[in-house]
Formats: sequence, C-alpha cells, structure tokens
Amino acid sequence: MNLIQNPELLDKLAASYALGTLRGKPRTRFEAMARDLAHVRAAALIWQARLSSMAELQHTAQPAPAVWTRIDNLLRAEKEARTMQAARVAPAASAAPASSAPAPGGWLSSLLLWRGATVLGIAATVAALLVGVNMREQLGQQLGSQIAALRMQLQATPQIEYVAVLSDDKSAASILVTLDTKNRKLVLQRIGGYTEAGDKSLQLWALPPAGGPRSLGVLGADKVLSFAAAEGDVREVPTLAISLEPKGGVPSAGGPTGPVLFKGALIQKVL
Amino acid sequence: MSTSNPSGIPPGSTHPEHPTGQDKELMALLDRVAARDEAALKALYDLTSGKLYGLAVRVVCHRDWAEDVLQESYLTIWRVAADYRAALSPPMAWMGLIVRSRALDSLRRRTADRSTVTQELDDSLAETLEGDAANPMDTTQASQQAWALHQCLSRLENRQREVVSLAYLRDLSHSELAQQLRLPLGTVKTWIRRGLEQLRTCMARFA
Repeated sequence: MNLIQNPELLDKLAASYALGTLRGKPRTRFEAMARDLAHVRAAALIWQARLSSMAELQHTAQPAPAVWTRIDNLLRAEKEARTMQAARVAPAASAAPASSAPAPGGWLSSLLLWRGATVLGIAATVAALLVGVNMREQLGQQLGSQIAALRMQLQATPQIEYVAVLSDDKSAASILVTLDTKNRKLVLQRIGGYTEAGDKSLQLWALPPAGGPRSLGVLGADKVLSFAAAEGDVREVPTLAISLEPKGGVPSAGGPTGPVLFKGALIQKVL
Repeated sequence: MSTSNPSGIPPGSTHPEHPTGQDKELMALLDRVAARDEAALKALYDLTSGKLYGLAVRVVCHRDWAEDVLQESYLTIWRVAADYRAALSPPMAWMGLIVRSRALDSLRRRTADRSTVTQELDDSLAETLEGDAANPMDTTQASQQAWALHQCLSRLENRQREVVSLAYLRDLSHSELAQQLRLPLGTVKTWIRRGLEQLRTCMARFA
C-alpha cells in the first residue's frame, strides 16, 4: 500500500479512520504510517477536524434547569474545599500568640473555619455522591484521590450538629456555642470583648421549654472553652443563656442568681 | 477556506454571517473560564448548553443520561478550558468533542452494565432511520467548518447521511451499526462507502 503515490487512497483511508469505521489491522497499519509520515498524519487530522463539526449540526434541546444547579454546586464544593485548606493553614499560624484583645481577623477566620467545617461535610458528600458515581476512570482516578482526601478531612472534622450565637442586650454577638456530637463536646468561643470581673464567673444554662434552667457549665477565662456534653443535654432545648454569677458559679438546682448577660437560640443543623 | 461559493454547491447556501461573531464570543468566554471565571462558565453554558445537550441526547438517546453527560462535560470544560487555544478548532467543535467523548463513556458504562439497555437503544436508533425529514441538521451556531460539512452531508441520501452520522457520533463499526439498525452488514457497508465517498469529493471542494 503506497500512500505517497496514491493521494486518493490516502484520503479515503484518512476519512474512514476519522469516521471510525476503519478498524482492526487496517486501522493499526494506518496509525503506524501516520506516526511515521507527516502527510498521512495531516490527512487524518484534516478529516478529524472536518467530522468534529458533526457535533455542531445536531438539533438544540433544552436540558432541565437542575443541570446547571448541579454544575454550580460541584464548582462551589470544589472552591470551598480549597478555601478550607487555606483557612486551616492561616489560623494555625495566627492563633499561636494568645492575645487578650479579641483580634477581628482571628474571629473572622474562625467563623470561616466553622462555616468551612460545615460546608466541607456537605461538599464531601455531594462530591462523593454526584462526582463519584458519574465520572469515569480517567477523570475518576484523579477525583478519587480528591474524594479520599475530602473523606479524610471530613473524618478529622468535628460533627457540629447544634449551633448557637449568644448575644448581649444590644444584639451584639458575644459567644459562639457549638455541640460536636461525635466527640461529645460543647465548645464555647468568646467572640465579643466582654471580660467578667475577677470575682465573678460566667455560667452557661440550657433553658428547656419545661422545668427550670439547667447548668451546662461554668466558663473559665480562656477564649475557647469546651465542656463534655452529649446531645441529650441540649435536645429540645430552644435557648441557651449565660448569666453572671459569683466566682465558680452556682449549683444547677437553684437556677441563675445573677443577671442574664447573653442569650441566643440553639439551632439544630439539618443536613 | 475561500469566501467564494465553490462550484457544485447548491445555490442559496451562502454562509450565514453570525457564526464568526458567535465564535469570537465563545472563544473570549473560554479564555475567561480558563482564568477561573465562574460567571463566564455560566454565560458559556447559557449560550451552548442547548446545542451540546442536543448532541448528548443524539449520542446516548436518553434525556437523563444526556443531562449527566452535559454536567460532566461542563465540569471538564471548566478544568481544561486552558487547552482550548492549542486545539485550533472552532469552539463549538472543540466542546462537541468533549461532549461526544463523555457521551461515549456513558454509553460504554451503561451497555457494560446491562444488555437490555442496548436493546432499548437499538429500538430508538432504528426509529431515527425511518424518519425522512428533508434536512435533519441544524446550522444555528455552526462554524464555517461545520457549514461546509453541512453542505456536503445535505447532498447525501437520508439513510446514507444517517448511517455516516451515527457511525461517527456513536463510534460504531460496520457490524455494530448493522446490528443496531437491524440491517444486513453488506447494506451498511455499501451505504457507508458511498456516503463517505460523496462526502470526500464534496469536502475536497472546500479544502
């Protein structure tokens, strides 16, 4: 088969090669020749380009609006995952010198961290469900490792199921409360500038719809505190409050004795 | 390609004027997508999803699957848009290749899973051959290159055009086509050979 001397045969072969109907040994032979000879390769490329326009000639049809929503969600998930990684590195560096004054940057990035932790969970689930099922090996392998990384991050991420932002009488956010049900930990973070006097303590109360307030713990002076607590402690509790009490707090049975400084609704996160 | 009307091309088939402007717009959008501009991806989606979805439906014959294909395709475009400039193709043809390849992947996965699916596909394919619309192609958004292909495909007999199109779009061999279209192998081979021969002669005029 002398393709150099038979341009018409070359064109025929190139056309059926690009169409896909040249199969088996003839195809292998043609591919080998194309690798060796530039003009054979050129003929194949010309036909591939010509036929690729077949894609442009198909009838238009309207996909469901949900398709864009899914694409958009996946893009967001990807972006959040990247933001998360950046946020993880940043506060670790800035949190080291523990200053008494609340640094706005620190609070901001912590909020990002909390939000990120929540979103990451959704992101990993969405990515695993939608992407994992659909993508093929080629893309899938690369994504597979991304998903594995996200899953590992998810496992390392606290499972925040309850969140409350306690505000003062001027509605300024002062304390952020989160319950990590996986680690059975209630985490409090002071986010306002409030500091109690040396002979006083702040005490956290659950305010159930029936029965008196139940103490969840007494706050120390640290910026971030955590109490052991299970979901049972806060289930059905609509509100959390913090009162100003004598140093060391008061017994739960008596209820708060001092003024309530901060209060906020406890929200169960629904995934 | 010359702008003069090559001989042998039916009259009234002058190239429409909009594609060049449209191509420029799409290329600008692809550049912005390559720079991670999400708004550009949305704009690109709004402009091209109808066409590409039509292509996906044509390949996989199933609206749900075609939507999955479309989703995967735009995510692929998002990731590889930077490669577009090196491709030297009209933007729609380039995106079409991505959609076609994702659609073929989808078909391979499905047919590997269940053979009943193949049966279903065969039925819908066989139906497409029975339709005899004068011109089953759509040149809105077509590039100049596509316009040439369209001119040449239009001159084929309907069945030849359909078999050639399906062979390409669904990456089918002669025997797969014969099986799916329920036609004798010899018939399929003849249609393809004649169709491709005419297409070749016609496309040579545009070269």
